[in-house]
Amino acid sequence: MANIRQLDKRRKSVRNIRKITRTMELIATARFKKAMDRAAAATDYTKAITKIVQDLAKSGTDVTHPLLMPHESVKAVDMLVLTANRGLCGGYNGSVVRAALQKRAEIKEQADSGCTSVSGKRGISAFRFANVPVEKTYTEFDDQPSFDAVAKIADELISRYITGRIDRVDVAYTRFVSSSKQIPVVETLLPFSGIEVPQDDSAKGSKIRDDYEFLPSAAGILEEVVPASFRARLFKCFLDAAVSEQIARMVAMKSATENAGDLIKSLSRTFNRARQSKITQEIMEIIGGVEALG
Amino acid sequence: MSDGAVHCVVVTPEKTELDVRCDSLILPMYDGELGVYPGRAPMVGRLGFGLLKIKSAGKEDVWFVDGGFVQVTREAVQVLTDRVMRRDQIDRTAAEADLQKALEIKPTSPEASALRDRSLAAARAKIRLSSR
Repeated sequence: MANIRQLDKRRKSVRNIRKITRTMELIATARFKKAMDRAAAATDYTKAITKIVQDLAKSGTDVTHPLLMPHESVKAVDMLVLTANRGLCGGYNGSVVRAALQKRAEIKEQADSGCTSVSGKRGISAFRFANVPVEKTYTEFDDQPSFDAVAKIADELISRYITGRIDRVDVAYTRFVSSSKQIPVVETLLPFSGIEVPQDDSAKGSKIRDDYEFLPSAAGILEEVVPASFRARLFKCFLDAAVSEQIARMVAMKSATENAGDLIKSLSRTFNRARQSKITQEIMEIIGGVEALG
Repeated sequence: MSDGAVHCVVVTPEKTELDVRCDSLILPMYDGELGVYPGRAPMVGRLGFGLLKIKSAGKEDVWFVDGGFVQVTREAVQVLTDRVMRRDQIDRTAAEADLQKALEIKPTSPEASALRDRSLAAARAKIRLSSR
């Protein structure tokens, strides 16, 4: 008797959980689409910057900037780790933290690690658990990171790098490759290598070459372009992390919903069987009683 | 740009904010304003912190631009900036805080001094343009 009631109770609670996970899956899907649109909108800027750099290179300017130059000796390395504020997204947070801690151990061998900054509550608690001191924490980045907030971090890193307080900046995040593939990576963002300079463009046989006028000068523009593209690059990391988080949550919640469905099925089967055997037993008892009377 | 209109595109790292055709526009360059009429020669320039004025059919549309670049090509004027906002959206108190912070930077190297100048210019432009 107690067994049947218990089974029914359990089935009800699994059903409730399935409702929750299904809703979370739907929410994650909606957020993923939004985050994806934002990431797509952000590519316009990167494309435009690349075009300017190409035009600068075509005009015969040497592409040099303090942010592009590696420092002679690497003594202090800053690390920025991008995780989520919330859990229930499968191995998303775990794998970024694992990659970051591994890299950090490597860095410790050759250089003093500078500041370690962590974004996301999950990452912060994971670092606390691993007993790793964290200088700065950010919890304001959700599924739609704002450029202003990211630019502040970027400017801080730029000024630390230029003034020589740090010699390298690593960022640990989940890179978005496609909607079915995201990989946790640790990338070196400074010295900056994100500017691609086309080596030889003459093969293209482009139509008319535009002779650009540079105001103030090609070098003066370059001075601005490099920090701007670094900021855009860091922003891209945040966007990638946000998109990947939603995908991870979507996948995790989808399998949770499926598992709950399976569990309900097997619980129902046991429940029905228990009920049937109880009925059979009662009938047997009644028949036994009738026979005894007769 | 040959049809007598200027195609103006304003892009920020977040998205394309503006995509309009207009009669002419005035860009806030690093050293003063620069007007663009249809058919202007190709140019790449550095923007300062100031007002972007888009003129169309006698009307003027004014935006605040927070540094960046402009690229004038045969097809369009492409403005690349970190932030673009209406003038009344400028946060004066935040700008004043930025100014204080910029003043505290010690110009110990050429790079640090360039950074200081840049932050000072940005903060001062914001304070100046928000007060009017």
